[in-house]
Formats: sequence, structure tokens, C-alpha cells
Amino acid sequence: MATQAAKTPVKTKKRRWFNFSAGFDMPFFILTMLVLAVGLVSLFSASFAYAYYWNDGDSYYYIKRQLIFAAIGVVFMLAASTINYKQLQKKWVVQAALGISIVLLLWVRFIAPPIRNVYRWIRIFGFSIQPSELAKFALILFMAYWIAKQGDRMKLGKEGFGIPIAVTGVIAALVVIEPHLSGTMLIVAIGMVMMFIGGTKWYWLVGTLGVGAAGVCAMIFGLGYERDRIDVWLDPLKVYTSGGEGRDLAWQTVQSLYAIGSGGLMGEGLGNSRQKHLFLPEPQNDFIFSIVCEEMGFIGAILVIVLFALLVWRGFVIGLKAPDRFSSMLAIGLTAQIGLQVVLNLAVVSNAMPNTGISLPFFSYGGSSLIVLLVQMGIILCISRSIKKE
Amino acid sequence: MKRIHRQDVSMNAPSRAMWRRTVSILAATVVCYGGIGGKLGVIQLTQHEQWQALAQEQQLSDNVVSDKRGVITDRNGTVLAQSTETATILLYPRELTSETARRQVSDELSALLGVDRDTLYKKACKTSSRYETVARKVDTDTRAAFVEWATARGYTAAFRVIRDYKREYPFGNTLSCVLGFTGTDNTGLEGLEARYNDQLAGKAGRVLVSQNGWGDPLPNDIQYETAIESAEGNSLTLTIDLNIQQMTEQYVEKAVKNTAAANRACAIVMDVNSGAVLAMVTKPDYDLNEPRVLTDSTVAAQIAALSEDERSAALLTALQKQWKNKAVSEFYEPGSVFKIVTASAALEEGRVSTASRFFCNGTFQMSGVRTMKCHVYPRSHGSQTLAEAIAHSCNPAFMTIGSSLGTTLFADYHARFGFTERTGVDMLGEARVTPSLYHTADAITAVDVATSSIGQTFKVTPIQLITAVCAVANGGQLKTPYVVSDITDAEGHTVYHTDGQTRRRVIAEKTSKTMCELLEGVVENGAKNAYVEGYRVAGKTGTSEKTDQKTASANGRPGVVASFCGFAPADDPQIAVLVMIDEPQTDIRYGGVLAAPVAKEIFENVLPYLGVQPRGK
Repeated sequence: MATQAAKTPVKTKKRRWFNFSAGFDMPFFILTMLVLAVGLVSLFSASFAYAYYWNDGDSYYYIKRQLIFAAIGVVFMLAASTINYKQLQKKWVVQAALGISIVLLLWVRFIAPPIRNVYRWIRIFGFSIQPSELAKFALILFMAYWIAKQGDRMKLGKEGFGIPIAVTGVIAALVVIEPHLSGTMLIVAIGMVMMFIGGTKWYWLVGTLGVGAAGVCAMIFGLGYERDRIDVWLDPLKVYTSGGEGRDLAWQTVQSLYAIGSGGLMGEGLGNSRQKHLFLPEPQNDFIFSIVCEEMGFIGAILVIVLFALLVWRGFVIGLKAPDRFSSMLAIGLTAQIGLQVVLNLAVVSNAMPNTGISLPFFSYGGSSLIVLLVQMGIILCISRSIKKE
Repeated sequence: MKRIHRQDVSMNAPSRAMWRRTVSILAATVVCYGGIGGKLGVIQLTQHEQWQALAQEQQLSDNVVSDKRGVITDRNGTVLAQSTETATILLYPRELTSETARRQVSDELSALLGVDRDTLYKKACKTSSRYETVARKVDTDTRAAFVEWATARGYTAAFRVIRDYKREYPFGNTLSCVLGFTGTDNTGLEGLEARYNDQLAGKAGRVLVSQNGWGDPLPNDIQYETAIESAEGNSLTLTIDLNIQQMTEQYVEKAVKNTAAANRACAIVMDVNSGAVLAMVTKPDYDLNEPRVLTDSTVAAQIAALSEDERSAALLTALQKQWKNKAVSEFYEPGSVFKIVTASAALEEGRVSTASRFFCNGTFQMSGVRTMKCHVYPRSHGSQTLAEAIAHSCNPAFMTIGSSLGTTLFADYHARFGFTERTGVDMLGEARVTPSLYHTADAITAVDVATSSIGQTFKVTPIQLITAVCAVANGGQLKTPYVVSDITDAEGHTVYHTDGQTRRRVIAEKTSKTMCELLEGVVENGAKNAYVEGYRVAGKTGTSEKTDQKTASANGRPGVVASFCGFAPADDPQIAVLVMIDEPQTDIRYGGVLAAPVAKEIFENVLPYLGVQPRGK
């Protein structure tokens, strides 16, 4: 009886910052590590030539850095998987996350100097940080918190739609003025997917989408905004061969299609891309998947897509099995971010959508974004620990 | 309105609705991924080849490797045109990183290759360009010296040597208007080089070298090259005999010099029985190795004096005239030589016979319209046999002979002998025969027949005329003249051979035999200047006035063409010779005086060369 009494209080209500109590979801962990490994190999190959030409023959420039970031990220991920995520379900944590995100977004737009003509990055201690990355996380945190708190009232107009769409809108507005179109799309999409799952009436969301789509159409066809980009999307080769400025605009899309098309069924073989030799601009960034298609062929491309799909599936499973609304929505939101970003990136790379500039998670070069991603995976793993084993 | 009470559900597991909606989002994700997979399938599987082709266009630098053009030889195998290996030297300016290197290269290489130093220096400084061509058609010795220099100086990376070929004509001017020449890209531009370009040209090879987006070769360890071997072209064997050609050229050249022919002169030597061209000469001609240099220094000086705007056009016109093969491309009025055809037709139709007699009083009354004078007017030939009429070249007699055929038959024979069509000789630039050049069957009048009978008021090309004369000599077969007898591929296999083709029979063998005898009589009794001791030469001279010439030539007289066409031996004709001197500037301009002696020289030398034994009559 004494031993039992001693055990019980430890196991119950005492909230701690770290929780080593149960093992995390092994399939999700393995899938994450697999995607990361494939991503690193792809980055090595895709950046090899680019680094060779631009960094005095140092072909390892990007992969060296990315490996270090990946190692740090994995350590952070494992650390994050041990935190007590319930500590995040506090009003002040959510408020702080939103507050810091908005401050940083304002700073990056109005105070920090532009980098490559856009206000997306803040340089701190030699690192480039994208406030929009943090803002995405803050939004997911807010949504999870809000949906858990509101419960069935998510069906109401104000609680279920008005307030969450307003928060999403503010963040999206701050991102769109950077300008960062794809980031905005991603934020809006994440917000709406979480609202949808959280219980918001579908007609609010469909209505919003309708108004948004009409607005975008009016901007493009009425005001002629980004018309060039649409022309490239509709017929990239025509714009490309017509020369002049159009050629520059269509360049990346056309080179991407060259790379993908050259790959065929089996691909040129790992490392054998020709398009990475100064044809496809910055093959280590947004268009890394084109090089994957060129080197690994249709088969390799499908395998990568399947890997991502499995990761999303497993993330959703964790979310649905999670013991409470907050952790459930948190896992689903973080997973949805990956899933949506992959869709947007692949759509751009294959010209299924106009070129907006969006990176491929775990593949594209970028230290801070990789670390943030892995920390988010850590949080999902952390949530998976609390799932009751049958 | 149904009130929903505030109730803390945050500790509850996800609701069934959340499950449903999550599953639908997952399904939507799978649909999106599937859609992208489908799109990739379209690009990578169905459109694979077209995207790859477009990509390779930019990924590979396509370097053409020149093919070796086939040789052209005469009938005995002597090479008349051949390609020798040369090199094109390319400079990659970006590889010359220092000013010292650029200066050294331009100083030393300009001397070595004989190119302008400043031009070379400018090319070396042009780092915006991937490569610059430093020198073309560099011979093998210079190439070796260059390679040695580049290796010694350590500049091998800055240069690339590409194999090329240069067309060479060992005999310079010889046969130039027939052979023609090639451009710097080794494509035939004139003469046989152009006519048989498809055969002579091989297949250019290609070296596809991988390159990056800047157009530079990929780094060495990942560099890849694909070579498509070039194929050598076919070779031509001509019917031309270099010795006969050279002899003929020599005599015609002398004649041009002596007569100061204003509009060039030409000669053809043809195998009577096959239509094979043994020699074809146009003089003055040009050096095949320097086709763009004007042979006529007076014309060259005139053009040099022109303003810059007019100069290039004038030069081109002059060059095109210089390159033209007179023997096949220029029309002239055949004059009395045509009497061979008139007599043959009348004999064939039985309108005249060797027993017929013709009376000449110095003039001929043409259908009451005009009176035509004989060339001996005010003297006359009196009563003559057919043989005498031919030997005298009596115009009234031949107008009578021609008129005896009537308009229809005359036009018919005119066409049958091939004067209304191209001969089909396998050469470049055979002139197209238009009805404006002769009297057509439906428009010919009695006056036209009379004038045409003596070879005036219509035009022919030299090749047409000699082909017709050959038909008269060889028993009546009108042949297709030809200069290429064999085409051989690079391995020595014959891909084409001809012994000549017959177009049609124009007169009976009997008529041919009679004509041979009659024409032998011409040389024996009339055109003695063509008489060769020991050989039986048959032929006919002609002096035709350029009746259509608007402006008189320099000395106030209208231009004439002095010509001779004949064959030998008369009892077994082997070769035919045509000599035509266009607008001689001498006082006496008769074909018998100017052209017949040239033909004589040709017969005199060619017949023994061909092994035709001399024998008396």
C-alpha cells in the first residue's frame, strides 16, 4: 500500500517540462528520418555543381552546412520530443508566440534591410531567419489552443470563423506585403484546414475561398497584376522562346521542365543531372525536386511523393489518436503544414501552378527552416508519447 | 437559437466530426499528390523525348566535324580536285587570364599563323565570347608548329583545334569552268562541284560536348563527349582526258590571244559515239584555287575604280560571268555550221541528193520579200553539186535546200536534232531553251526557214550544236552528252556508271555516211585550214553575224562568231571538235580563218594521242 501510494502522485497531475514517460511513435520517427536522409542526398547532388561554380570549386559547400544543421535539428527534435507539450497550451504562451511573430513580421518588413529585393529574412548572428516560419508555427499553436478551448462553439460564426480567420488574416497580410505570395498561401491554407477540422461550418470556409478566388481573379485579369506570371504558367515555352524579359521570367520554369522531362522513367542516375550545371537557377533551393526527377526519374519522384504522403498520413494518425483536443490539433496542424508545403512546391516545380517560390521541406537548402521543421516533428513525436497503448 | 454552453472539452479526445474531417483532408492530400504524380507522368513519360531534346539542345555544344569531300579525277585517274586536311584554330578568351598572356599570345601567334596581331589581341580580350576563331584552313605543318608552341607556352587549355578540309585543284586554271569550286564550308558553288555536290559531299560528323549554362565544358571528371564519325564523300571519274583538255586549252588560249575575242571563246571535244565530253574549254577562265580573283585585269581595274556601293555588285557580276561555262550556258547564232543539219535533213527526206545541182547567181530571193546576198557577192558560185555547195558554204544554195523541206519539216528537224531542248548534259548551268530563241513550229515562215537554213535568226548552245553534229557523224544517234562516267564510294565500290545514253535516232545511217563524205570534202576543198595531213577530217566552218546585236562593236562592225565544228576520221568518226570564238577583233573574222586552224591543231594532236592511225585517202 505504501509503495502504491508513493507511485500514484508521481504519475498523476504534477506537470513537468520534460516527459520521458513513454516511447514515441516509431513509424513517424522512421519516416521523418527517411525523408530527411533522402532530402540530404538530393541536396548533396543538386547543390554539388552549383557550389562548384559559385564557391571556388567547393562542391561540398551546401551539403557541409546542411549536414550540420540536420545534426543540430535532429538533436533539437529529440529534445522537443521530450518536452511536456501541455505547457504550450497556455494563454500566455500562445499570446507570446503570436506577439513575437507579429513584431518580427513588422520588423522584417519595415526595419530590416531587404535581401534580394524582398523583406523576408532577418540576419541574426550570420543566420537568416524567416519570421514567416515562426508565424506559421504561432498560427498552428493558436489554432490548436483556440479549437481546444472553444470546443463545440467552433460551429458558431464568431468563435468558429470570425476570430480565427481574423488572426489568420493579420498574419497573412503581414506576410503578403513582404512580399511572399507562397508563404501567404501556405498560412491561409494551414489556418483554414485547421478551422475545418476544428469544426468551423464548411460554408464559411467555402465562402471565404470563393471570395478569395474572385479577388485573385480580379487582381490578375482586372488589374493585370502578375499577368506575366500567368502567361508563363499557361505556356512557358512560348514565353521562353519569345525572348526578352519573358525569357528571364520563364527561365526557371522551363529549365525545371527540361530537368523533369529529361529524367524519363528511370532518370539519369544519381549525380548525373545536366540541368544542375548552371541551367536551373539555384537547384538546391525551391527547385530541388526537378533535379530529383531528372536524376531518379519518374520512379524516384513517385517514391519521394509516397514518402511524404506516408509522413502526412502518420502525422494525422498521431493527431487523431492524441488524448486531448489541443495535442490533436497541434499534431494535425503541424502535419498539414508539411503536407500543404509539399503540394505547393511540387505544383510549382511541375508547373501545375504559377511559380511563387516555395521550398520543399527536408530537401531545400536552409538551416533555420530545417531546424524549425525538425523541432515541429519533435513536437509531433512528443504528442505521440502520450497516446495510450492498446 | 440553440445555445451552446461553455463547456471545457479540451481534455476530450477528438470528436467523430474531427475524425471525418481529418480523413477528408487526408483524402484531399492524396488526390493532390496523385494529381502531381500524374502531371509528372505526363512530363516524364509521354513528353520525355521532346523535353529531353530541348534540354540537350542547350546542354550539348554541337561541334561539326567536316567531312572529307570525294576527289574528282579525269578518265585516266589523274586527280583534278581533292581535299586536304587543314585545321581551324579556336581561342577561348576566358582561359587567358592575364594581360601578359594575352599579349604573348597575340604577339607570338600572329607571327606563327600569319594573322593580324591587333585583331588577334582584340579576340583574346573578348572574354564575353566563349570562343573566337583565330585561323581557318591552317595546313598540317603550321598546325604542328602551333601545337608545339601552345604546349611549350602552356596555352593548350586556351585553344581548340578542329579538323577541317581545304579543297585543292592541282591544275589551277585547267578545266575551271567545268569543275567549279567550293566555298569555305566545302560546299560546291560552281560547276561539277555544285552539280554533284550531293555525291561529293560526305556526311559531316559531330562532336557533342557537354556544357554548362555558361557554355563552358563541364569539369573534367564529369565531362562527356559523343562523337558521330564523319563519312567521306563519293568520288567522280570524268570522261574528260586531262591531256586532251590541256592541249585544247592551249590552242584556244592562243586563239583568244591572237583574235582578241571580246566575249571569250570555247571549245568542246566529244566522243562521237558515246557523247562523252573529252575536253571542254572556256577561255579566258580563272584559277580554281583563287576563284574570286578576276582574271581580266582591265575589268578588275575598272571595278576597283568604282565607288564602294557599286563595287561589290559589279565584282559579283564580273565574277559570275568569269565562272560561267560558255560551252553549255551561252547561246549564239550557229551560222554556216548549221548547214550540216540543213543538208542532213534534206538528204534524209530525199529532197536533195548527191546528184542535185544548185545554182547561185550571188543573191537569193526570199519569198518576194527580201533579197539575200551570198557571201561571195557580187561574184557568184554558179552551178554546183551538193558537195560543192557545202564546200562553198553557198548561202543561196542552202536557202534552196532548206526551203525544199518546207516550214513543218524544217521545224520538225530543228527539234529532232535537239535544238529546242536542253541536251541534258550533267553539268551546272546548261541554258534553258525558250521559244524566243528559235522559230517555233506554229510560227515559222518561209523566210524564217530560208534564214535558219544558213544558221541565222535563231540561237543554239555550243553543246547542242556539237551533240547534233555527233549524231550526223555517228550514224544518226542523238546522244546525251556527259562528263561523269563513274561515281565511286569511299571504299572504292562503283555506285554509278554510264557509257552514254541515246536520246533518239535523227537520221538514217545511210544519210550519215553521205554527210561524212560531203563534210570531208569541205575540209579538203573549202575549209582547208582544218586539214590535217594523214587524217580524214570532216567539218564545217561558220561565221555568223550577231543579227540581234543592237550596238556595233568597237570598230563599227557588228560582232561575229567565228566557229568550226567537225569530226574525224571521216570514214570512222571518233571525235568531234567544236571551236567557237565570240567576237574576234581581227580584220578578217571568218570561222575558216580563225576557228578552223584551232580545230586542226586539236585534231592533229588528239587523234594520234587517242591512237587513231594516220592514213592517206
